[in-house]
Amino acid sequence: MARAGWGAVAAAALLLPLATSNTYYLYLACSVGLLAIVAAGLNVLAGFAGQISLGHAGFYALGAYGAALAATGLGWPLWASVPVGMVAAAIVGAAVGAAALRVSGPYLAMVTIAFGIIVEHVLMEWVSLTGGPGGIFNIPKLAVGGSYWLIAAATAVTLWLTANLRASAWGRALLAVKSSEVAAEALGISAYLARTTAFTISAALAGLAGGLFAILNGYISPDSFTLQTSIVFLLALLFGGLGSVAGPLVGGVALTLLPELLTGLADYRLILYGSLLLISIYGLPTGVVGAVRSRARRHAPHPALSPETRGREAPPQGKGGDAAALLEVEGLGVSFGGVVALSGVTLTVPSNGITAVIGPNGAGKTTLINLITGYYRPDAGQIRLAGEPIAGHPPYAVARRGVARTFQTAQPFDDLSVVENVMIGVAGARLGHLGGALLHGPGTSRRERALRARALALLDAVGLAPRAEEPAASLPAGLRRGLEIARALATEPRLLLLDEPAAGLSPTEIADLAARLTALRSRGGPAIVLVEHHMDLVMAISDRISVLDYGRVIAAGAPAAVRENPMVIEAYLGVPA
Amino acid sequence: MLVQLLVTGLALGSMYGLVALGYHITWATSRTMNFSQGHAVMVGAVIAWGLAVAAGWPLPAALLATLPALAAFGALIERVAVRPFFRASSPAWLLSTIACGIIAENVAQLLFGKDARAFPSSLTQRPILVGGAGFYPQELLIPMVGLGLMALVQLFYHRTGYGRQLKAVAWNAEAAGLMGINVPRAVMAAYALSALLAGVAGVLLAPLLNVAPTMGTIIGLKAFAVAIIGGLTSAPGIVLAGLGYGLLEAVVAGYVSTGAREIVGFGLVILVLVVRPWGLLGAPPARRV
Amino acid sequence: MRRRLSALVTVCLLAGAAVGVTAQSREPVKIGLTAAVSGGSAASGEAIKRGLEIAIAEINAKGGVLGGRPLQLVVRDDEGQPAKGVTIARELVEREKVTAVFGGLHTPVALAQVAVWHELKTPYMGAWAAGTNITRNGQNPNYVFRVSANDDDADKFLTRYATEVLRKGKPGLLLENTSWGQSNEAGLTKWLGQKGIKAVGIEKFNWGDPDMSPQLLRLKNAGADHVVLVANAPEGAQVVKSRAKIGWEVPMVSHWGISGGRFAELTGDLSDGVAFLQTYSFFGKQSERGEAVLKALKERYGVKGPEDVVAPVGTANAYDGLHLVALAIDQAGSPEGAKVRDALENLKTEYKGLIKTYRRPFTADQHDALTDADYIMVVWRAGRIVPLAAK
Repeated sequence: MARAGWGAVAAAALLLPLATSNTYYLYLACSVGLLAIVAAGLNVLAGFAGQISLGHAGFYALGAYGAALAATGLGWPLWASVPVGMVAAAIVGAAVGAAALRVSGPYLAMVTIAFGIIVEHVLMEWVSLTGGPGGIFNIPKLAVGGSYWLIAAATAVTLWLTANLRASAWGRALLAVKSSEVAAEALGISAYLARTTAFTISAALAGLAGGLFAILNGYISPDSFTLQTSIVFLLALLFGGLGSVAGPLVGGVALTLLPELLTGLADYRLILYGSLLLISIYGLPTGVVGAVRSRARRHAPHPALSPETRGREAPPQGKGGDAAALLEVEGLGVSFGGVVALSGVTLTVPSNGITAVIGPNGAGKTTLINLITGYYRPDAGQIRLAGEPIAGHPPYAVARRGVARTFQTAQPFDDLSVVENVMIGVAGARLGHLGGALLHGPGTSRRERALRARALALLDAVGLAPRAEEPAASLPAGLRRGLEIARALATEPRLLLLDEPAAGLSPTEIADLAARLTALRSRGGPAIVLVEHHMDLVMAISDRISVLDYGRVIAAGAPAAVRENPMVIEAYLGVPA
Repeated sequence: MLVQLLVTGLALGSMYGLVALGYHITWATSRTMNFSQGHAVMVGAVIAWGLAVAAGWPLPAALLATLPALAAFGALIERVAVRPFFRASSPAWLLSTIACGIIAENVAQLLFGKDARAFPSSLTQRPILVGGAGFYPQELLIPMVGLGLMALVQLFYHRTGYGRQLKAVAWNAEAAGLMGINVPRAVMAAYALSALLAGVAGVLLAPLLNVAPTMGTIIGLKAFAVAIIGGLTSAPGIVLAGLGYGLLEAVVAGYVSTGAREIVGFGLVILVLVVRPWGLLGAPPARRV
Repeated sequence: MRRRLSALVTVCLLAGAAVGVTAQSREPVKIGLTAAVSGGSAASGEAIKRGLEIAIAEINAKGGVLGGRPLQLVVRDDEGQPAKGVTIARELVEREKVTAVFGGLHTPVALAQVAVWHELKTPYMGAWAAGTNITRNGQNPNYVFRVSANDDDADKFLTRYATEVLRKGKPGLLLENTSWGQSNEAGLTKWLGQKGIKAVGIEKFNWGDPDMSPQLLRLKNAGADHVVLVANAPEGAQVVKSRAKIGWEVPMVSHWGISGGRFAELTGDLSDGVAFLQTYSFFGKQSERGEAVLKALKERYGVKGPEDVVAPVGTANAYDGLHLVALAIDQAGSPEGAKVRDALENLKTEYKGLIKTYRRPFTADQHDALTDADYIMVVWRAGRIVPLAAK
């Protein structure tokens, strides 16, 4: 259905210039294309990576002025001057992104607004270069017909690139960061790098559209690059549908044509425009494409798993697991706002077997996991993985050394399908070449097939294969935990930290979990650190137990010995034994 | 010259702070805000102008009648543009508040007219001259009223029962709901208060800036910058940032050039956020793992 | 067939955009207007629209053009944005099939549209934007005409007034930070330079700026003995208020942007003595035509008097421009753009207009109907505009 839709769009685009020589319609179509290109770029940033920019008119301006100056100042031909603007926008985009993406939400919105306003005012003040408020005219331009083909081609390529990106390891990484930054970093993805990449791509595409704008009109001035312009860009994307590949095109069509249809209403035009926007947001909170898709999904049959994608589970390989002590924690301490959460915690985890960490609520178990995996920075003490210090490293760096984890509340990437969740784990930090992802080269498709096969095999092992193509958000709680464990194992870790994996599971599900963990151990899988409250489970499968209370280790040893330890009994029962 | 720049800077800065406080109030209670907050500034000025100048009411009566109208405007924005999307994950409220702003501006244009009108005030008739410079009495009144209002808002939040309830919603909406606080009504109250503050800023500025349907746009934008650099979660930070931004603008415009003013001002916004990502006095959101 | 096919395709593509006007014998001749009728400079667009509507009503009351075809105005809001302006230019010509188009306040919009008029062979009549190179645009044939000030001429006029009438030699320039301000910076610098004068300071301000006293103080400290102002009414009012604030009693010579009646309302008596250039004023004794236009303004738009005419230059320029275009259409004997353009360049009928009497207002080399010879210098006095000197 989607294919037929794209075919119809392509046919309409090809037929339009044959059907009409009316330059108004062709010019409108050009405007649609330019808006769609910018919105597609914003889609990479907002739809995939989850960050909003209200300053893309700035990059649009850089593209336009870059192209215009190359063409008028240097006398470069059109094919060379448009890329100049695009590259200028991309370089500035990378710099702005690197500076701005430490913040998010309204703070990022403000940084981008500020950037856009600064660009606008620099264009006005730097008269000798930009011509000031009067702008640059006599830019060599194409006739509307010629511009049409150029812009149509650029739009098609842009949409194709973003579709490729969405279907690649890079695209999944961006969506993972959007869905849960914390969980993405646990799989080795640097959220900051991913967002900066997305920001740069979106800036480059805005720059491309800006360059095309300059040669379409032959005249540019700062009036075309205001905050208002940035808002229209974002409106087009949100209207069309955030995150979908077709959304920017739909939004571009709507936001270009809507004002044209209202143009005869003169004084009441903006009231109607605003009301229509408002009504469409009510009716289509996920954008036009989102609404169409959710309707289609309701009627679509459940995708069944085809036999050839069903694989046998390959045994996970522990990486370099010879060292007797894989993880050594020594004298670890941390406090939050004066409250001591952990102090002097010492713990050794050998390279195989299951080490349980138990203790009453608030004993600091989850804090310990967060310290080991880099989410918190310790105030004191050492953490060594296979002899190397890792304390204070960021989560994605710790993950890349072979440490995987799950979360107390399972955090699957809800925007992605079940199999894509696991594919993110399989790929981990190895996202492949960005250019390859955008162009969907042969290497990329081969890699994609391998990733998918491996992910399906892992899902099969936890019984999730039949639901592989469903959105992760649709899974019930128990299966979400299963998915998260499968995703963690997909990174082929040497150390796996499980934070209360049995919480909320039924007795049968707990039995399944126990069986799976012991099977993993017997196959020589990763060393496991199990934080858990279910004492039956802990006693049944652990090789060693450490007991935390009030932020200190009060006992450690084999299950039987720990069970008899009077301090443990006191901690749990509140009475001296 | 410096005295005059300080007076002008403080007057504008306190208004930035007042409008910015509106962003803070709604953000704290609902994690949303009115992206067309500047239009509330305009609505305040336009209503007051309509009553005091066009209809010829005595000024105190006009001002008293303007206040409930502003609160109603804020509540309307909340009801129409925010509540339907309160729980939506997409930033639909951003779009819808922008749409409301477009409508508000156009309606004002139809009712009020397209050109700027004067708002006569006895406090802007004659300037007070000090040496080679001077200022209007209104410019002294503005920061006094502004700071007074900001103090009142703080008192309201900390000393009254309903203020504490709003604060509870800001801390944890779910828990506040369980404690029997009507959260949707609290959010609506926050929007009403937010529009009220912005509208009062509009009324105060009207004699200086004249009244026009587009008068709020720039103030709303700069107030947003102020709210962000002060720290969306910190009322004192916003007040300080507002005064600071107003003074900075005045000094840059006075000693460098007007063209440099926006570049320096917004450049500083970026710089502050690079150094302090959650604003000068804002607290980073707790990292939930 | 082709037309219907194209209509079909566009209907599909443009989601029901209304298209197609069937030809009829008494079909109206359409005149377009592209101007900002919303946003910060909406008043300018409104003023132009009023001038056009009044002139069209007059012409239609006398039977229209081309032996009985009425004129019809099609208004489009370009919001002051060049890209929007280009879209509108194409829409007016290609979809609305207008014969000629009038333009608004924004010079960048007008500049962006120049190439379109040339490409689509449609005459354009500027009613406000004074940027010099809008009419002197290098196109041949040139489709762009103007009944409005030309900055270059205006600056020549202002310079002459300041140096020869006021006998001042140390100008401080205070300009709005737009392409209009930029155009005048060039013009003033050029004409001052010809008198061997250099401005002691050039200061700028942005639209909506609340306080201009820093700029004025800098000019004062630089030793300016008069200020040349290029501003529209709202910012001009802030300038005058700021001048009072710093207590600087300096002569002020202004471009025509502050001519709107609201300027007096916004400034009170602070504007007394501010002199400015004008193409037309509704204050004082009016010609027969002036009386008629003022009457129409009162009847159609509820204007109370000359002080209530918001932007008189826009109304007056548009009014005269429309009459000139109507004459050209009749002379061309056709609503076809290229023919009307040729007729405009060789207008044979004399037109006794509001601003002046036009005798062959345009030639191949001169596309500005008004030059510095047609400007008058006026001054604000107690909320009224009073002429200062004869032309």
